[in-house]
Amino acid sequence: MFIINCPYCGERDQSEFSNGGEAHVARPKDPEQINDREWSEYVFVRANPKGIYYERWVHTHGCKKWFNAVRNTSTDKILKVYKLGEAPPSIKEFKNTLKSPSGEPEVGSGNFTVKKT
Amino acid sequence: MSDNKIYFKFDGKRYGGNEGDTIASALLRNNIKFVGRSFKYHRPRGIYTCGIEEPNALVQIINEHNEPNVRATVKKIYEGMVVKSQNRWPSLKRDFGSINNLLSPIFSAGFYYKTFMGPKGFWKKVYEPLIRRTAGLGKPPKEFRSKSIHIHHNVDVLIVGGGLSGLLAAKKLAGTDHDVLLIDRDDCLGGILKNTKKIKSIDNQRTNTWVEKTEWLIKNSKNIKILKNTTVTTYNFDNHLVAFEDKSVGKPPDNIKPELVLHKIRTKHTILANGHIERFISFRNNDLPGVMLAASFEKYIHKYGVVPDQNPIIFTNNSSTFSLLKSLVDLGHKPRAYVDVRDQKKIEKETLELLTKYNIPLYAKSEIEGCDGKNGVQKVSIRIKKNEIIKIKTSMLCVSGGFNPDIHLFTQSKGLIKWDDSLLTFKPDKSYQNTITLGSVSGNFSYEKLIGEINKKLSFLQGVNHLESTLDINGPKKFQIKELWETKHEKKSFWSKSFIDLQNDVTTKDLKQAILEGFNRIEHLKRFTTNSMGTDQGKISSINALGIVSKILKKNVSEVGTTIYRPPYTPVSFSAIAGRSTYEFYDPERKTPLHTWHVNNNAVFEDVGQWKRPWYFKKHTNETMHEAVQRESKQLRETAGILDGSTLGKIEIKGRDALTFINLMYTNSFTKLKPMSARYALMLGEDGMVKDDGIVCKINDQHFIATTTTGGAANVLAHMEEYAQTEWPDMNVYMNSITEQFATFNISGPKSRVIMSRVFNDIDFSNDKFPFMTFQNFNYLDTQIRILRASFTGELGYEIYIPPKYALRLWQRIFFYSRDLDLVPYGTETMHLLRAEKGYIIVGQDTDGTVTPLDLNLNWMIGKKKKDFIGKRSLTRSDIVRENRKQLVGLIPLDKTYGIEEGQHVIEKENLSTPIKKPVEMLGHVTSSYFSPTLKHSVAMALIRGGKRKIGSQLYVSTSDLNTIPVEVVETSFIDPKNERMLL
Repeated sequence: MFIINCPYCGERDQSEFSNGGEAHVARPKDPEQINDREWSEYVFVRANPKGIYYERWVHTHGCKKWFNAVRNTSTDKILKVYKLGEAPPSIKEFKNTLKSPSGEPEVGSGNFTVKKT
Repeated sequence: MSDNKIYFKFDGKRYGGNEGDTIASALLRNNIKFVGRSFKYHRPRGIYTCGIEEPNALVQIINEHNEPNVRATVKKIYEGMVVKSQNRWPSLKRDFGSINNLLSPIFSAGFYYKTFMGPKGFWKKVYEPLIRRTAGLGKPPKEFRSKSIHIHHNVDVLIVGGGLSGLLAAKKLAGTDHDVLLIDRDDCLGGILKNTKKIKSIDNQRTNTWVEKTEWLIKNSKNIKILKNTTVTTYNFDNHLVAFEDKSVGKPPDNIKPELVLHKIRTKHTILANGHIERFISFRNNDLPGVMLAASFEKYIHKYGVVPDQNPIIFTNNSSTFSLLKSLVDLGHKPRAYVDVRDQKKIEKETLELLTKYNIPLYAKSEIEGCDGKNGVQKVSIRIKKNEIIKIKTSMLCVSGGFNPDIHLFTQSKGLIKWDDSLLTFKPDKSYQNTITLGSVSGNFSYEKLIGEINKKLSFLQGVNHLESTLDINGPKKFQIKELWETKHEKKSFWSKSFIDLQNDVTTKDLKQAILEGFNRIEHLKRFTTNSMGTDQGKISSINALGIVSKILKKNVSEVGTTIYRPPYTPVSFSAIAGRSTYEFYDPERKTPLHTWHVNNNAVFEDVGQWKRPWYFKKHTNETMHEAVQRESKQLRETAGILDGSTLGKIEIKGRDALTFINLMYTNSFTKLKPMSARYALMLGEDGMVKDDGIVCKINDQHFIATTTTGGAANVLAHMEEYAQTEWPDMNVYMNSITEQFATFNISGPKSRVIMSRVFNDIDFSNDKFPFMTFQNFNYLDTQIRILRASFTGELGYEIYIPPKYALRLWQRIFFYSRDLDLVPYGTETMHLLRAEKGYIIVGQDTDGTVTPLDLNLNWMIGKKKKDFIGKRSLTRSDIVRENRKQLVGLIPLDKTYGIEEGQHVIEKENLSTPIKKPVEMLGHVTSSYFSPTLKHSVAMALIRGGKRKIGSQLYVSTSDLNTIPVEVVETSFIDPKNERMLL
């Protein structure tokens, strides 16, 4: 269970929050004007990277506010939180935070505990 | 230690022990070494260690709800405790299951996977019950109520382990601004200072004195809290650790106080000072009672004042056994022999001096070949030269195969470990979280370097004290070890086995066989052989297994790698995890303001979410549910009925843009709806599927009240909040739950207008003044009520919203005024029946998240002129407009005497072959079915493929006894399709 720094309340346990999936997926302005494929991509398709992920969280058992966070999915470290409407931080900012605990590759699975020599 | 004896029972016999004794130390005090039978082979087993790492001495505490698998080496005795050995029948000495040992050639690695393959049905009926009877450890405990509690901590520094390193670290932090928690799993601090003779004195004080003084200093520093009898079991992300505290150490279970406390600790820095665990060496019959780890033997001497045996044989591959030797000779005892794997030149001079002085035979460059005896060690075979074995009589053998830093918690924290070639073990390499390891857990086995290590590693903390201490060390200053995992066997018989995992009965032969069969990856090998998969997680043996495997594979241990240590570090009782969240405290119960009335009127309750709702009301004690529901339903359609609908979700929506917002949230259009009117509304997900339904009341364009289903209330509010905040942040709209601010009554039936007119005699309930789907606010008593004319039963109906405080008074008044009108209170089951007769859906029963409004024939609810609402675009997707989607239809049995079962399949074929050989094509399933007392036959709703086009045709519904009944597909409205009764 990790700690999430709610931009409105401060640091709280993860159990107070709910995850809302990928951030910055805007609802199409005029849904009737786009085709089935474009619409279904908005409804169903989300990125699922190993590494840096921009996602939405809501402080369900707290202020009930939605906000955005940048999380490294391979380490579960939340690297930044920011309010809705604020510009997303550049991915370059997180270049050096990619490494997972055992130094496993950024892509693919791995669960090493022993340092490879 | 006091001399007041404490008496307890072990396998029916009474024994005395001292205060502070564990079951194991008390048994050893009484010269009992044989305490249990092993897991698979039922071999006699004794006490192997003196702590948490114990693989063998697991017992069952009969007087503590039959608590099984309790480590005898940890559990303290108390007066009247009743202990039983495990895994034996009928008795420990004569055990029926030990025949498994003779059959052991067939019980090798992978035995279960390979053997119990067929014939069909045998696993469930024959093999599993048989295996469950003979294998496994203790028996499950009897039902009892947990009294455990949970406590949360938020600290700056957590110190795990109150041994030498932990105490020194605490001393360094004493009196500073850091908020510190010090946890030790024992009932006293001190660790090795209390358990061994390795350190003579600290700062020229006797070790016990130093521990007492330091503890006093820590306690008086006010910034450090000490938790004893507490074991850290889990190290999670963000320095979140879980520990459990045994509150009933050395005491019988208390009826009131919690027996276990689960501590959830969030810390900024974790100092791991949890020490090391001694490991064994595999040799022939290394599991016999009487074989014990050397450091554990020494702990029994110093901590418990028990000398398990006065003349044991010591077997070692390292320098640490000096301390045991010294402890024994200081007490005037003489070990029978000292067997060291190392060359005499390599053995430390301190050890050699002691051996010479006390004339103890030394066998250098020798190893234990094995030991023999019935139910315990009697003879030990020592290989003194390649082909020469001598035998010595003894009843105990102390083994030391080196030490493993206790890295379980460190690896749980995702820290990296690395192999150390001089210590022959894994030690921490790189922390992943804010984790600091001190002392032997960090791989520092040298006491001389300890003070320097602590000063250096903790210097980053602000304002810490500088430590200066002098440690006077007994014996060899440097730890030396020679690699030895397993000695060479001589004898071969069924009985002779060399174990690698004592708890799971895994032998070194099993490891070899597994590798031969291709399981040469350590994680595969572990699962195939079950090595280190016992509750002890192979604390004394898993590294040995790696050593043996690396030799077979001709690789370095670091290349072989290690399996991952997983939480919990030691087994945690479910009662500690559950804490107070059991029985009625498991989930909050929500009760309506009329709950007591319902109870007094014989309501049977149903759980809806967290709510307790009346299911039906029993008229007399013998009335069945079916009878009650039929009676309630019939009477409502004849006179009137009243339902407590207070659990319905109610959400108030306000703001300048409330109308725009509501138009987007629901499929219906609210623009032209007149103020003080209401509409049955559907809420969809963005995928076009029905999410919830309810009645939306429009007070004006800036103010709405929406009702939701009882179970969906929280989700609907969250759904609205999400869109208001994330998609349309510029909209001026606010919403809030008012579910609990209003009690709700639904009165319906042909007599309801009369009843309402009598209760509220100043209100005109005529059709003109109070039309269907309108609402009005009235003053009533000294409060305000809202009355809405709506119906979920198909009858003329009214909903009353009233603050909960006045609910019971009004409810009783309604009954008073209708005492000659046969007003019947009804529950949820009757509500479901009545709405099904009308073909009204229940979201979650007739829908399942794959059903669109089109599938439900609710096209009329879609505001087609609206430019957008959530889910609108999805309704024109090719898959949604597909004709053969599953659609909601009504079903009526052709033979009216048959009943249709909910959940049954709807099929085209009349006859099902028995047994069913080919899959039967399923058109859909029955979502709701009730026996209608008005129509006097069963009515059902079903979701079936291409249902709309099938109306008028004949299909079949399966039954639970594999028959079918013919049904006619009809429209869903069974009663009053023109709504004449409702608009009365």
